[in-house]
Amino acid sequence: MKIFSNKNFVAWYFVFPVAFIHLFVIGIPSLASLALCLTDWRGLGEINYIGFENFIELFDDRYLKKAIINNVIWTIAFLTVPVGIALTCAYLLTGIKRGQMFFRLAFFFPYMLASVINCQIWKYLFHPIHGLGGFFERIGWDFLAVSPFTMKSTSLFAVAFVDGWHFWGFLVVIYLTGMYQVDNHLYEAADIEGATKFQKFRYITLPMIRPVFVFSIMIIIIWSVPVFDYVYILTGGGPAYSSEVIANYMYSQAFERFDVGYSSAIGTLMFFYVMIIVALFGLFRKAGWDI
Amino acid sequence: MIKTVISFVSVIILSTSFSAISKTKVTWSMESNADRDPIMIEKLQNAYNNSQGNYELVIEFEDNETRLTSMRTAMIGGMGPDIVETPGPSYVKEYHAAGMLENLDSYAAEFGWKDKMIPWAYSSGVFEGSLYAIPKTHESMVMLYNKTLFEENNWKVPTTLEELEDVAGKIKAKGMNVFSYGSDGWQPTHEHLVGIYLNNYAGPQAVYEAIIGEREWTDPVFVEALELLKKHMVDEGYWSGSLENYYAIGWDDFHAQFANRGAAMMTIGTWTFQATQLGIGASGDEWGWAPLPSLSSQSPDPNFMIAIGTTMSVNANGKNKDGAIDVLNWIMSNKDKVLDIAKDFEFGEMVVPLTLSSSDIPTDIAPQVQDYLSEYARITGEGNYGYCTWTFWPADPGVHIWKDMEVVWAGDISVEDFLYDHQKMWDKARKNGDTLPVPLRN
Repeated sequence: MKIFSNKNFVAWYFVFPVAFIHLFVIGIPSLASLALCLTDWRGLGEINYIGFENFIELFDDRYLKKAIINNVIWTIAFLTVPVGIALTCAYLLTGIKRGQMFFRLAFFFPYMLASVINCQIWKYLFHPIHGLGGFFERIGWDFLAVSPFTMKSTSLFAVAFVDGWHFWGFLVVIYLTGMYQVDNHLYEAADIEGATKFQKFRYITLPMIRPVFVFSIMIIIIWSVPVFDYVYILTGGGPAYSSEVIANYMYSQAFERFDVGYSSAIGTLMFFYVMIIVALFGLFRKAGWDI
Repeated sequence: MIKTVISFVSVIILSTSFSAISKTKVTWSMESNADRDPIMIEKLQNAYNNSQGNYELVIEFEDNETRLTSMRTAMIGGMGPDIVETPGPSYVKEYHAAGMLENLDSYAAEFGWKDKMIPWAYSSGVFEGSLYAIPKTHESMVMLYNKTLFEENNWKVPTTLEELEDVAGKIKAKGMNVFSYGSDGWQPTHEHLVGIYLNNYAGPQAVYEAIIGEREWTDPVFVEALELLKKHMVDEGYWSGSLENYYAIGWDDFHAQFANRGAAMMTIGTWTFQATQLGIGASGDEWGWAPLPSLSSQSPDPNFMIAIGTTMSVNANGKNKDGAIDVLNWIMSNKDKVLDIAKDFEFGEMVVPLTLSSSDIPTDIAPQVQDYLSEYARITGEGNYGYCTWTFWPADPGVHIWKDMEVVWAGDISVEDFLYDHQKMWDKARKNGDTLPVPLRN
């Protein structure tokens, strides 16, 4: 019993409530989902073990492949556009002395809005009758006449744009926080050496905020896997699966087609994918990367 | 004096509380709708509660998607509402297969429900020979048109493919859309159109044969039907002007488009009657309706596609099954009350498939709706009825028919490949026993 009053054990008392809730809310359902992927369960009624049948079907599913490709495109898009804009804006903001708070708030504001509100705003803006397209048509311009959400060639990028618009302000804030941690003497020394603004960014800012930057990269990669709400609200994965992503496809299998076993198999794939990413970052850290 | 008042108030409070406590609560989880809910409270919940002293019906309204998920979770856990409302037979099938619904055979026999209902609607709730669900509302697809506009232009309401394509050309020449419709907010809208083309091109008989497995979905007649739909949707832009606009336009917009003469016609379900009456009715134009045109010689006669909107069942694990049965029996036995509710929705909702005579049809509803109800009864009574996908398609092919139709319209796969996949899903559903009840065809 002494172990329970041990000083080192005290921390566990604080961890326990959260761990207990996680066990029931995340742990057990996750394990159940792992088990369900080997069954033909339809969400109700009896559960039959069918071995790896769901996984065999997965590899033959052209729409799942499409969803995986779309997730990869989504991840690349988020690793480039919002990150690039956020880094630039955050760096520029460090040079602004007056009104900086206004810009920080303005950039961060979309992140505070519920996804459904963000989606409705953009859906309305791109609406062919009530949106910008309708407005331009009335003044004689054929611009944005068709909503990009409803075109096969643009739907995925249009949804990614809306999600990116809501997300990049968050990146600005965390990059700004990292930039404020950088020792000002380094910039003063660079000024004496005659470094340009870009050189200071490239050789001082970027290396110094590397932990924050790598963290942002990691969360973008991980968060890109279960992306769901923006796709579901804006396009439902359509038209013609052009904006379908894995989580939306998984939802459709479970709640539209009642194929919970198959849906669990998709979930299991997602789980292992995320585990691999986390493991990779763990390895980088072990290899001495400052992340 | 004060003592007397206090005593009087106390007696009232106590008696009210006692009557509430003494009644056994019957719960009903119902799809929420801001316009509909107050009427359901007043004319269903309160009317039932006032009609007897044993049970207290409590309707719990919730957004349908959330409701279905939470109800399913509760029922898996052996709980859930006493009256289980589902969006159609494919859901009933899942609950029935899991043993979660009460067998209603004995009650149907005791209270004579079978004689009170339209036969096909009764059989839609029969699974493995027993009754498990009663339709709360039944519906069909119709073609609405702007009567004033048609009269002004001397256009003929189309009854055949040739007439449809002819009038479509004239409508487009006037700068209007042929049909007002769109799928924004409800992707399964596509299945309304697929159902129309399958039934009105291939014909209800061919569809029936495919449903019962006597004909393959890859049959050329279905291929031609969906090729025609693709032509009208993608090449001709019949619905809201283009495929992209059809995807972008939702319920409010397509009603506004129809009301504002943005389109001359609308293909839609009968659930729209109230919205149409409020929309175009307020614009000053008169609206009319017609059966969907025949699209080939294989479907020469006008037909109405039959469909179940929502169903009512009794939870096998419910706390108060007797109360739930009593509520269902009240609905089945009070035609006037049910018609009074349906009347408030212009027969777009709560259209319980009770057998009606012409004298039952209320006279204080829109004349178009009165006319529709008579024609629907006459034509379906003659056996000219088709099949809506959301009532007779099992879950997997049922999703495939609307979700993957977009892939056909996008040109990513051919109609033949689409129907090949569709047949495979039907084969799988048949093998797994997932097919749904379909009334025998004469």
